[in-house]
Amino acid sequence: MEQRHPAMQAVSPVELLSLHDVSKRFPNVLALDGVNFDLRRGEVHAVCGENGAGKSTLMKVISGQYQPDGGTFTFKGEPCRFESTHAAEKAGIAIIHQELNLVPQLSVAENIYLAREPRRGWFVDRVRMAQQAQHCLDRLGVHIKPGDKVRSLSLAQQQMVEIAKALSLDAEVLIMDEPTSSLTESETSQLFRVILELKRSGVGIVYISHRLDELEQIVDRVTVLRDGRYISTHDFAQTSIDDIVARMVGRALEDKFPERTSIPSEHCLLKVQDLQRKNVFGPVSFEVRRGEILGFAGLMGAGRTETARAVFGADPIDAGTVHFEDVLLDIGSPLDAIRHGIAYLSEDRKCEGLAVKMSLAANITMSNMAAVSNRFGFIRFREEAAVARRYIEALDIRTPSEHQIARHLSGGNQQKVVIGKWLFRDSRVLFFDEPTRGIDVGAKYAIYQLLDALAARGIGVVMISSELPEIMGMTDRVAVFHDGHITGVLNTRETTQEEIMQYASGLNPQACDASPTLNPQACVKPHSIELNREPSLETLAKR
Amino acid sequence: MKRSLNDKQKDLIQKFAALGSLVVLIIMFSVSSHAFFTVSNGMTVALQVTSIAYLGLGATCVIITGGIDLSVGSVLALSGVAAALMVKSGASVPVGMLTGVIVGALCGMVNGLCVTQLKLPPFIATLGMMLVARGLALEITGARPVSGLGDAFGVLGNGSLFRIESIGADGFPNVVFPGIPYPVILMVVLALLVAVMLSRTTLGRHIYAVGSNAEAARLSGVNVAQVTLFTYVLSGALAGLTGCVLMSRLVTGQPNEGVMYELDAIASAVIGGTSLIGGIGTISGTAIGAFVIGILRNGLNMNGVSSFIQQIVIGLVILLTVWIDQVRNRR
Repeated sequence: MEQRHPAMQAVSPVELLSLHDVSKRFPNVLALDGVNFDLRRGEVHAVCGENGAGKSTLMKVISGQYQPDGGTFTFKGEPCRFESTHAAEKAGIAIIHQELNLVPQLSVAENIYLAREPRRGWFVDRVRMAQQAQHCLDRLGVHIKPGDKVRSLSLAQQQMVEIAKALSLDAEVLIMDEPTSSLTESETSQLFRVILELKRSGVGIVYISHRLDELEQIVDRVTVLRDGRYISTHDFAQTSIDDIVARMVGRALEDKFPERTSIPSEHCLLKVQDLQRKNVFGPVSFEVRRGEILGFAGLMGAGRTETARAVFGADPIDAGTVHFEDVLLDIGSPLDAIRHGIAYLSEDRKCEGLAVKMSLAANITMSNMAAVSNRFGFIRFREEAAVARRYIEALDIRTPSEHQIARHLSGGNQQKVVIGKWLFRDSRVLFFDEPTRGIDVGAKYAIYQLLDALAARGIGVVMISSELPEIMGMTDRVAVFHDGHITGVLNTRETTQEEIMQYASGLNPQACDASPTLNPQACVKPHSIELNREPSLETLAKR
Repeated sequence: MKRSLNDKQKDLIQKFAALGSLVVLIIMFSVSSHAFFTVSNGMTVALQVTSIAYLGLGATCVIITGGIDLSVGSVLALSGVAAALMVKSGASVPVGMLTGVIVGALCGMVNGLCVTQLKLPPFIATLGMMLVARGLALEITGARPVSGLGDAFGVLGNGSLFRIESIGADGFPNVVFPGIPYPVILMVVLALLVAVMLSRTTLGRHIYAVGSNAEAARLSGVNVAQVTLFTYVLSGALAGLTGCVLMSRLVTGQPNEGVMYELDAIASAVIGGTSLIGGIGTISGTAIGAFVIGILRNGLNMNGVSSFIQQIVIGLVILLTVWIDQVRNRR
């Protein structure tokens, strides 16, 4: 073994990695704008920020996947520019992605040395490969054999294999993107032991996690990003989680949201009780009221999408009941839910919402074909086209005609088509899963207006969102999810982003042991009764 | 706006590419052989195309949902001999043929249930049925042809409408107009029915929706399993009908009939622009595809090209058309 161990090199306080005033531009978006970041040997440096703050972009710049458009980037004191992840890996920078990049059918050793297998002549030197893999695994102190198939390992073990792979590359910088998002508590503490071990041997670790509560166990310094801009860097010992959260969400609510015109009522449309899917989420209980927008806040993987899909019948449930206006529903499939007026708009439009090869008109009528066909199942095309044109006008969909293939529409217009589909079905409760993801600002505003108009028509709107400003700006009440449970239902007007963030991070001690049904009195007084000013929304309201 | 126009143009080019190559083939063969462009040869080609076309109709529906049906060649043999055995054992011809179609539909149903309930990949499910059905056909007949079925059994395959004959001076009948063979009439009727079903009914819309995005269709309340099952049953029933017509033409139940017919069916759909990924395809395209294959065979035959060379040519035509399709879809 002729590997250099980072441990054998002198541990110097000098910056291992230093980025100054780095920017990265994508079409229409400045993803990074003057970001500073540095990493010392033997430290764990956390990067915090909301979704879309630029964390992943920064990591991709460091790991060579993206090239910065401006600023300086020095590695071990020398300016450098990586043209690919491969080049960065060779220099000693490894990244472990949230979704692991292992080949399940191959063994641990084969995965560690994939595409750079030790050879003897034309053949793979299996003995040497196994020995070297064993050596890397030993350094981590984990009990995994090089010959084990990756698919037989737990997620935590697979992560260890990824780390071993990074060690085998002599990585001096290790980037970990949400490493604990799918680990259990004991697996997490095992990971932390390994991280501390790596730290001691001089490896610099960049650590990204939404779970702020776990930072204090391992982190030395914290850098906060917001909206692609650099906010601050602090020693963790000299700051607090509250401070970090405040800096993360610190932006003032600008005029990004339309005035709310809907008036939430006390009338309960949908009542979900103790709904549960084992090992996925729950039990959760909540209710959706007529004319309100209820937010589902929380971190990714907290169970928001899963809950909505279960109510909609897209996934099976293990326990719990769903009542619609006091009638117990038996929902076994999306069709059952749709018949009862419940709709779900997926976060993944292209994969789950739209039939992209079909026309706009076909997509709008897809869940309500009976309304545009006669009793023998023949489609009345003139009527279908009229329906499609009605929604194109009402939702202001930008398209040459109703025959346009859905694939060729922009993201915002595709989202409007999906909304049109559920409006045509006369849905009474609509679950919107990240309705504005991947949509530009102007289209976002239109979607917000639409959500408000829907609520004003007496529809119960549930908006799942990872963007706190959106939750603050658009909802009447907000249910906060953490780890598969609702940790709090808050009145939006009486809460703050900081409070929501605390519930979402599982930090609020009273929230953790309170029953999920807490805050039954959290009902909203009608606010702004100003009526809608958008003519297109009135067209909607007529239906 | 500009891009959509281009797409429309591309679609148009594809449509005309298939139709155009068909016209080119007809002109080529008419020039090279005088017997090619005649009414009676036209009817012969149409008759030869019928079995590819029946199977192609089912294949198109299955492929639009994103599936594939490899079993139709074997299923048609099983259905055909089932019909023949029924007639042999004393049933009337319509009852026997109906039995054949039902046997085909049942095979299709088994395919569909394997795909939708057991979640087998369509390729595997129908590959299994291909072997099972062929084995059954050979087993129940002892691998021997079923003959002695009587003239009535041959009417469907050999009869024709509007046949005009005149008695010549020598006392033998002269054929003025060969008539339109019953299988050709059946083909036109079935093609129209399936085309209407696909393009004008809710069911057809759902078939496209399933193939375009099954999860989106499911979340929109489409009963994806039911729609998928239907396409396999339809494909099986059409294979059953093909079996009856073919056996009727031979007036014999042949358990070895229809080997590799599934590939002709799939080829006709694919030449006609049906996408193997699902979501795209038309009956008019498949009809053109079936005629391209039929005319190639007939024309090459009349020009004395050996059947081996025919295989090579048809293989190359399939590669060429699918390649054009790929280029069209690349953007």
